[in-house]
Amino acid sequence: MQLLRRLISRLVGGAIMVLVVASFTFFLVRLMPGNPVAAEYNTLIMRGMTPTQAQNEVRVMYGYIPHEPLVDQYFHYLWQLLHFNLGQSISYEGVSVLHIVLSDAPWTIVLVFLGLITSFLLGVTAGVIAAVKRSTGLGNALTVSGSLLHGIPQFVVALLLAFLFTTLWPIFPFGAPYNANLTVGFNFPFLGSVAYHAVLPVAAYAISSYGGWLLTMKSSVISVLGDDFVLAAEIRGVKPRIRFGYIARNAILPLFTVFALSLGFMFGGSLFIENIFDYNGLGNLLVTSISNRDYPLMSGAFLFITMAVILSNIIADFLYSVVDPRIRRST
Amino acid sequence: MSLYDLAPTAEDAGIHIQNLTVSYDTDRGRFNALKNVTLDIRPRHITGFIGESGSGKTTLAMAMMNAIQPPGRIDGGAILLDGAGDVLQLRGEPLRRLRGRYFGFVFQASSNSLNPLKRVGAQLMDLGRSHGISDLRGLLREAKALAERIGLDGDRVLTSYQHELSGGMRQRVGLVFALVLKARILILDEPTTALDMLTQQAVLEIVRSIHQEQGLTTIVITHDMGVVAEMADRVVVMYAGRVVEEGPTFSLLTNPQHPYTQGLIRAIPRITGNLDDAKPLPGSPPDLATIPTKGCVFRERCYARTSVCDTVDPVPTSAHGDGLVMCHGVDAS
Repeated sequence: MQLLRRLISRLVGGAIMVLVVASFTFFLVRLMPGNPVAAEYNTLIMRGMTPTQAQNEVRVMYGYIPHEPLVDQYFHYLWQLLHFNLGQSISYEGVSVLHIVLSDAPWTIVLVFLGLITSFLLGVTAGVIAAVKRSTGLGNALTVSGSLLHGIPQFVVALLLAFLFTTLWPIFPFGAPYNANLTVGFNFPFLGSVAYHAVLPVAAYAISSYGGWLLTMKSSVISVLGDDFVLAAEIRGVKPRIRFGYIARNAILPLFTVFALSLGFMFGGSLFIENIFDYNGLGNLLVTSISNRDYPLMSGAFLFITMAVILSNIIADFLYSVVDPRIRRST
Repeated sequence: MSLYDLAPTAEDAGIHIQNLTVSYDTDRGRFNALKNVTLDIRPRHITGFIGESGSGKTTLAMAMMNAIQPPGRIDGGAILLDGAGDVLQLRGEPLRRLRGRYFGFVFQASSNSLNPLKRVGAQLMDLGRSHGISDLRGLLREAKALAERIGLDGDRVLTSYQHELSGGMRQRVGLVFALVLKARILILDEPTTALDMLTQQAVLEIVRSIHQEQGLTTIVITHDMGVVAEMADRVVVMYAGRVVEEGPTFSLLTNPQHPYTQGLIRAIPRITGNLDDAKPLPGSPPDLATIPTKGCVFRERCYARTSVCDTVDPVPTSAHGDGLVMCHGVDAS
């Protein structure tokens, strides 16, 4: 019951955050110098359209009427948003923004989650080893590898991988999520092609966050190893396997917070990584929509990325309260 | 296998410590935390370990379970446990089983000796599984009975997490963990620290009655002379990693031989009489790095220091009937 109430309160909080972000994007677009909507409207009139025609055209494109008061536009925008209408793209003429965003979003989500899981598994395992063997060469080497990789920005990793494996030794493909000649569906060549194309971007995500996991896990394990209950379990003769479970569960807890934070970092990173590999996901969509001045698409993509981050945070936060009894009863 | 098959072969578990030396690796080098400790812990007795912080009381107790943690290391000696042989020769599985079968260690009330993420009952079941108990329900029933015997609400405690228990309750839960597998040797680390006077009294009474009822070998680690006077049959006085005096409680407290023991007793304020009668020991105990490597370790603070104390290690001399004292002053008389 308490968990349900917690979940509901988190969802309400998330909805409010989405509303705030949606409002921000709405006003930001309108605050941009040059007022692109009015400019478009004027261009259309100069092309010989009547003001009514131009107004209709702009309304279809941007989802609002340029000469209405800003407040009316704002509520109109929110109303449309409530019906999942994000307007129409300018660069892909006549295609709805929602359609474009939804067709690109899965690729980003797949990349981000594969990258997250890979780096999490690698980093956490290496972190445990680095903690347990901290006085040996192996432990030190792992820690150094973590610190080094942690310090390299995502786009540098991505550029390096792109240069090494698509240019110097062209063993991995560049661009598109899959080979366009294959039929889309649940068949082996298609899935294989998807995996093949995902290797480099996923590796870029994984390498850039591996160090963070490693260092956090290492310090967490070391602090848990010094806890009384670990010694107590040893003295009580608790089986090593059970003891390992005690340590692992306690040590991994703080990583939930990092998990939630790093999701935002990963989705943010998709701007660079997808752009560098020319991979058709949300990040790349956002970058191209910016350079094309495709404002509806831009705010749509931005809104979607924000929602993904907020949703993942809610899930991480909720999971934290499931795994840690001390948090569970405090709300 | 039922619970009772785990009972140790030897009913009475005495501990014979021979020439035990333990050292710690620090930034400034390797230092002895215990040096050449030879001591017999008698079965069915309550033995009090007394000494200042850092005197090696807890290290000695840990060594008995072969549980010295790095950077500590056992450099030599033997710990012979009745019915089990030399504990220091055991590693891995045999050591793990021995710990569950023989020893019950109760942490201080302020320690967190339970996994914060699991309910007490679930951790008791982990303990049972670790020691081959198939009747886990029976184990929980037993634990519940034990908990109620020592004044806890059994059902509530077994379904609680550590953070839902107070310090005093945690310590009692620690007692349940220590006793539920029918340990033969009960070790209590500072059982009265961080507890109020009334709770202290309750804990000591519980321990005493369970000790007698189950015929345990009990060790109480403390720096409180009052606890020793009230509980212990025998007292071991430790200073700078050495046993300086050992003997039956009454004789040792009324007729202390070692200047350190004398000082400890003189430092206790009396309820009647002048507060100024309580004389603190001058100076402070050495830390690991400043313990003298030869001669008497207590000489810096001793009123009876002679030139022999600087160069010659004192040897154990019999005292208090079947006890011992390590002091040149006593040696000479």
